[in-house]
Formats: sequence, C-alpha cells, structure tokens
Amino acid sequence: MNKKIVKALYRKEILDILRDKKTILMMIVVPLILYPLIFMFSMYLSTSMIKASTSKSYRVSVQDTEEPAVLKQYILDGQEKHQYEFIFVDSYVENRDSEEALRQKEVDAYVTQSVSENRPYYEIGYLASETDSTTAAGMLKDMLSDYKNDMRDKILEEKGLDSDEVLSPINFALKDFSTKEENAGYIFGYIVPFLLITSILMGAMYPAIDTTAGEKERGTLETLLTLPVKNLELITAKFMATSTVAVAAALLNLLSMGIMVFYLMGSTEAVGQGLGIDLFSYIPALFITLLCVLVFAMFASGVCLCACIYARSFKEAQNYTTPVMLVFMMGGMAGMIPSLRLDGTTALIPVINITLLIAELFKFHFELPQIAMVLVSNLAYAGIAVVLMARLFSSENILFGDAAASLHLMEARKDMKEKQIPGIGDVVLLFSILLIVMLFGGSLAVAKWGLYGLFVEQGAMLACVLGYSWYMKADMPKVFHLRKPRPVAVIASILMICGSYLIIQVIGGLLTSAFPSLSTENTEMLVSLWENKPLWLLVLAVAVVPPICEEFVFRGFLMGALEHKYKPVTTVVACGFLFGLYHMSIMQTIVIGLVGIVLSYVAWKEQCIWLSILMHALNNLTSLLIQQYEEPITKKLPFLAEETISFGVGAGMIGCGVVLLALGFVILQKRKTDRG
Amino acid sequence: MKIQATELCKKFNRSVSDGGNKKRSRQEEFLAVNHVSLSVQGGEILGVLGPNGAGKTTLLRMLGKLMKPTSGTVSVIDDSTADTDPVEMTDDIAVKRYIGYLSENTKLYNRLSVREMLRTIAEIYGLDPEATEKRIDQISEVLRLQGFIDNRIERLSTGQKQRASIARCLVHSPQIYIFDEPTLGLDILSSEAIIEFMKSERDRGCGVLYSTHYMEEAQYLCDRIVMIYQGRIVAEGTPRGLMEQTGTENLRETFRAVITQTEQKAAEEKGQESTSAEDKKDDDGEGRV
Repeated sequence: MNKKIVKALYRKEILDILRDKKTILMMIVVPLILYPLIFMFSMYLSTSMIKASTSKSYRVSVQDTEEPAVLKQYILDGQEKHQYEFIFVDSYVENRDSEEALRQKEVDAYVTQSVSENRPYYEIGYLASETDSTTAAGMLKDMLSDYKNDMRDKILEEKGLDSDEVLSPINFALKDFSTKEENAGYIFGYIVPFLLITSILMGAMYPAIDTTAGEKERGTLETLLTLPVKNLELITAKFMATSTVAVAAALLNLLSMGIMVFYLMGSTEAVGQGLGIDLFSYIPALFITLLCVLVFAMFASGVCLCACIYARSFKEAQNYTTPVMLVFMMGGMAGMIPSLRLDGTTALIPVINITLLIAELFKFHFELPQIAMVLVSNLAYAGIAVVLMARLFSSENILFGDAAASLHLMEARKDMKEKQIPGIGDVVLLFSILLIVMLFGGSLAVAKWGLYGLFVEQGAMLACVLGYSWYMKADMPKVFHLRKPRPVAVIASILMICGSYLIIQVIGGLLTSAFPSLSTENTEMLVSLWENKPLWLLVLAVAVVPPICEEFVFRGFLMGALEHKYKPVTTVVACGFLFGLYHMSIMQTIVIGLVGIVLSYVAWKEQCIWLSILMHALNNLTSLLIQQYEEPITKKLPFLAEETISFGVGAGMIGCGVVLLALGFVILQKRKTDRG
Repeated sequence: MKIQATELCKKFNRSVSDGGNKKRSRQEEFLAVNHVSLSVQGGEILGVLGPNGAGKTTLLRMLGKLMKPTSGTVSVIDDSTADTDPVEMTDDIAVKRYIGYLSENTKLYNRLSVREMLRTIAEIYGLDPEATEKRIDQISEVLRLQGFIDNRIERLSTGQKQRASIARCLVHSPQIYIFDEPTLGLDILSSEAIIEFMKSERDRGCGVLYSTHYMEEAQYLCDRIVMIYQGRIVAEGTPRGLMEQTGTENLRETFRAVITQTEQKAAEEKGQESTSAEDKKDDDGEGRV
C-alpha cells in the first residue's frame, strides 16, 4: 500500500466531505448549536413553568359544611409555607354544578366535604387534562395532607400520646456508601454511551454514504478508477476519512455535552443547590471513553461503508443504513438492561461492548483485560470490514452494474440460474441474518424453554441456511459438500478429532490458568441447562443437533462460498476462526477455533460434510460424557481431576495429539497419491 | 509506446424476457466484447465506431484497465528506445500510469476547485509539489484554464468542465489517450477544442483511441478506424480505405453499409442454421419412420 496515495486520497475525501452541507449540518450544527439550544430551551421552559406555577394565582372553592373557616384558614396559612396563592371563589357552589364550573374554568379546583365511615371525607375536584387545574389540585392535596397530619397529632395529644412514639415505633434509614461522583457516574453511564453511539453513527453515516453511493451517483467513482490506485488504498482512504469525521462529530458532541453539564452545575450552584461533584474525578473514565470513541468510530465507519457500498444512489444507501442505525441504537441502550454485564462474552459483541464498557468506566470500574478486549475487538472488526470492502470493491457488479445482483436474495427466485454458488455478499447477508436470529430469537427461546430452546435455536439456524440456499437455487451437493465419505477417511477423521481434543484440552487448561477471568460463562449457562435432564436428551442437544446444524452453516454454506473465492489455507482458517468466533467468548474463539480448523480441513479435503459432522459430534459427546461422569473418570484417570495440568501430562497429551493428527493427515493425503 | 489488446472477451449476464410474459425473465450470459484484438501506435488516432450497445465502452474500459476482461490481455508496450528490446507491461497499476482516460462517465469532483483536483491527481501519480505546480501552470496555459482554475467545479459551465476533464487526463503526461465519446453534448467550439487537442497530442507522438457517434468528426480526425457490432470487429482500416471497400462517399454511409452487410450476413447464417436444423429434424424423423 502506497502511503502517499492514501494520504492524497484521504485529503481529497476530507475536503470533499467538509464541503458537503449535509455533513456539516449533522456534524457541527446539530451537536454544537441544536443540542445546547434544545437543552437550554427545555431548561428555560421547565424553570419558567415552575416559576409560573408558583407565582400564579389559582381560583379554588372550598365547600366545607362543618368547619369551613378552619380549612380555609389552613389553606391561607399554607399558602405562605408552600408559596402558593389562592383566590377563593365560593359563589358557584350554592347555585351551580361544580363540574360545570371546572369546565367553564370559573374555578381551577374545588374541595367538598362529606362524611364517610364516620369521618370527614374531603374530595378535591379537578381536571387532569388542564395544567392549571392539576397544579391547583396538587397544592390543595399538600394542604389537606398538612391538615390531616395536624389533626392526627392533635387527637393523639388530647389522648396523652406522643405522636412520634405511636406512629414510628421503629426507625430506619438507608445509608448510601457510594460517592456523589459514583451516583452521577451511574446516570452518566446510561446516557453517555447512547449519546456517543448515536452521534458517532450520525457522524459516520453521511460521509460513508457520500464517499460510496454518493460518489457512484455523481459519477466520480469511474474517474477514481482511471488512476493508478489499488482497491485497498482507495478503501483505506475512504475509511480513514469517514472515521475522522465520525470522531470529530463525537468529540464535538462530547464537548457540547460537557459544556451543558458545566452550565447545569453552574446554574444549580447559583441557586444554592450545588451538586458538589468533583468533575475531575472522571478524567480517567473520560480518557478511556475517548479511546472507545476512536475505536468505535472506526468500527461504525467500517459497518456504514460496508452497508453503503452496495447502494447505487444516496437514497438507496440511506435505506441500507437505517437498519444499521436501529441496531446500533438498540445496542446503545444495552447499559439499561440490569442483567447485562461486561464479561468475556459481552466484551466481544459489537456496540454492546462499548456501551457496557463506558457504563463501567463511569462507575469507576477499571478492568484492564476487559478494556483491552473491547478496544482490540472493535479494531479487529473494523480491520475485517476494511479488508472485506477492499475485496467487494473490486467486484464489477458493485462498480459498474447492479450491485444488488451480487446478493442472490435481492433477485426473484424465478429469475435465478440453476446450481449457483453463493458469493461473499451472500455470506455476509446470511451471517447478519443468523446473528439477529441467534441474538434475539435464539437467546429468547433458550430463556423461555431452556434445553428445548436450544433445539429451536439450532433448527432456526439450519432453516435459515437451507432456506437461503433453496431460494438462490444453490448447487446443494457442491455447496454443502455432500459427497459420500470414504471408509479410510472416516478412520482418519476419528484419529484427527481425538488428536485435536487432546491438544485443545491442554491449550484450554493453560489459558484458564493464565487468564482466569476468561473462563467462560457460556459453559456455566449450558451446564445449568443440563441439570436433571435424561442422558439421551443431553446427547441429542449436545452431540447430535448442534453438530449437524452448525456444520451445515460453517463447513457447508460458508466453506462452499469461500473455497470458490480464496486459497484453501484462507478458506480453512477462516471457516475455523469464524466457527470459534460464533461461540462468542474469547476463550472459545481460540480453543474451538482450532478444532474448527481441523474440521474445516477434513471437510475441505474430502469435500464431505458428513466427516466433519462425525468429528464435531465425537468432540461434543466426549465433553458431555466427561462432564456427566466426572467422578468415575477421574477415579481411573486422577490427573484429569487436577486443576492445573502438570508439565509431564500436558506434554504427553500434546505429543499424543500431534501424532494422532499427523496420522490422520497422512491417511487423508494418501488419496492424492492413489489418484496421481 | 503502444497499447495492444489481444483476443479480449467480456462476458456479462443479462435478463431476457421469457416469451411474451414481461414479468417472467431469465438470466443469460452474453459476450459484450467478443475476441477483439487491436493496437494503437504512438502518433496515430484510432477511431472505435459502432451503434449503441455494440460494446465500445466495455472495450475501452478494459483497455483503460478499469474492468477486467473475461479472457484476453491488454498490455502497454514501450518501444521508444531503438537500442533495447520493447518492454511489455500488463499490470493494471503500471498500465494506468501511461494512460489518460476520459469518458462521459468520468465526472469531476464538484466540491473541489480545478486546481485542488489537479493537485490531488498529481500527488497520486507521485509528482512532487514543485513539479505539480509547474505542470498545472503548463496545462492551464494550454487549455486556457486561468480564468476558472480556482473556482469550484460545480460553478463551471459545461465547456469549462470538459476542459477541466481533459486537464485531469493530462496531469501525468500520458503516452496513450483513451477517449470515450469526448465531444458528446458539447457545443461546436468546445468540440473543436477537444478535436484540436487530440490532433496536437497525436502530433506529439501519443497514441489516441477514441470512440464516437459523430462520423464526420471521425472521418476528419482518425488515421485508422475499427467498426464494432455486437462485440466483434466487423471492419477495420483507414477511413479512405473503408470508403473504397464499400463504395461509399463518406464515413456515415460506410458505417451504414458495413452494419447493413453484417446484419444481412448474420441473418443469412441464422437462416442456414435453422434450415439445416430443420433438415436434420426431418432426416431424423424419416429415419425413425
């Protein structure tokens, strides 16, 4: 990549973006002028409403047949205490209906007295739909409450009782140990991520649309293609420019919010209600938040560019980015879900990880591994997006033609050619659908139906993949590698899965002892689902259904698409890594990713998904049986019970694993020489 | 310096309506460019003529390395030094450095000024700032850009924009020009300026590949002409030679004659094919009886 070219293109993009009125409007006018204006206007509105409500006179009527003078006097006395002002209107009561008087606005509220259960019963009549009436009723309620308390105290006193002793036989109080800063941070933690995510997205969206679909629409993309520029250089420049604008927009928003907070503090201190918060205590949180802003702006830019690259026009791109915006905004509200916490799994989920991290930072919780995971994962996602875009950008369908045609779902099924092979666009679209199905449908199903929910989740996943393939008239035997397994390959597969199982046990053990915080919550959740269930059901839920469904996704559709575009090594590693990533935990990404690579290799080499299903099933079955029969197994093999694997045992397991893997590998190779 | 295309093919998918039902259509592959070979030497203008949809733009895009051919190659051959063997370049980025490409689809960045745009392009081609300014001054003088070079492109007239577009192609002093209908929609003065520019570049020793629908213009300007129909070259030669071959008096008539001949030939071939297919069917039928 030529840095000078990227620099020149970046400068051009920035200049082009900054001269676009829409971007300027979204980036500068909205945060710097509109937000403070809205804020100040609402402040002004609320204070003036409070002022108006207290300084205004309200017309009230008091109908008290027994003791009108006493109640009226109470109300008159209370006016001073509560800073209210009432004008008594009594004339209507004798000759007119009270409700009509309210509706005619002759009175704002009234009090009538009757007797209920041998006690005086007062009724405050008002119209909840009228502000003045509601305010007046509220004021009267305060005063009647005072009246009630005083009457109660008086009665108790007459009976020679101490009202405090009678009414408060015990006392209690809440003692809050959190500091004012922590309390305020708790609230900031809800608001700041949402505002930041929204503002970053707003900042990234317009430049992303402008530099991709906008450029296509204006006809400058072809001009750019006449220049000696590589796709990666082009995309990197566009990505950097979009990220810069997104960061600038977010910083302007932060600044604007900061000014508003200072303004709020200043104005409240001026009226003698100083919050007493030391704003400087938030500096570390703000510093890491800034880093989050940077990496998230990159991630958001990557996603927006990916979404817009398919669009032919500005309008179409806006349609594509709307769902992105909704998903991001939902993620921005993740901090408000009480049960959702930042852990090894959530730290890898885009958007949600940033939201939860910022919320934690403002509560002064600084966990370095989690911070690193969130920042690194966002950078990695942004990097993946750039590489993916550089690949997509070379597609002539995207540059010159009907980009949507590269997504088979966008075509009518009747127009489809027979025996198609999915493209990268199809993979991205299908995985986006799967992510939504898994995150929302899947987790809901598991939460509602427990272990049976897992079947629903896996079934939905398989249905999506098969449905998509059916719709695009995919070449099923080729895409899903439905070749019959060779007996010798079955033996090789069993040897290889045994080998990989031994190796990942050691690697997993080492990772757990090195990073205890990474030990997965996923497994704990699964184990809780297993409790008190018959073994046959567990075998079905762990070692039969997931291997079939997941293999059809990863060694089927994904591999079927990738192997036609990329070199075998890239295909095998990508299928393995994505399979690890799908388990949504950093630990499992590494460990299962390695198993995934072995499964992918065998499936690719033999073009046979049945082998990888068998290996997957054996792997899961072994884990299940060891978990179920821990006691008898550890009795026979006591070294398995040890918390940390000793060097000797570890080396032995690795050695056996490598030998088994190598043996399987050699057997699989034999085919080639036979054929050759 | 010359550009050479060998057996270029480009396959596209297109929707074909299924019978009389407009709603029902199917995808079909077709060759937009069908085994085209040509070359343009330095110091000559090659005109590419053909009706709409003949495949001219696709051919020029492949020659400019904007589009990858389905098969065949495009190379730039440096034969400028007599002492050494010619150097052949096929790499996209290397080839683009020698080509100035202009078409109706290569629009300008409206929000930049002409100078800002030229600077960006010069930087991409690796010119240093001093050389860039010098080159911009030169181009500005040749194309008379001085009056509007610092104005934003969105505020320029159509003719000024076309001159700015030519300036864009000139920044890196290309040896080969590819112009796809450069005079389309321009007034006489602007068209003449572009025609004169192409002539002057040819006289400087550059090769020019140029497509147009204006036959008079092509007749006046081109040293050689290729006529394309349905992705194939159907006639090739000098304007005079082609006119003599077809017995016509101007290139407009030549073009019409060539296209008519080609269509007739195609119809005859189709007729023969269907007759032989029917004969075969009849034979088969007889055989069965």
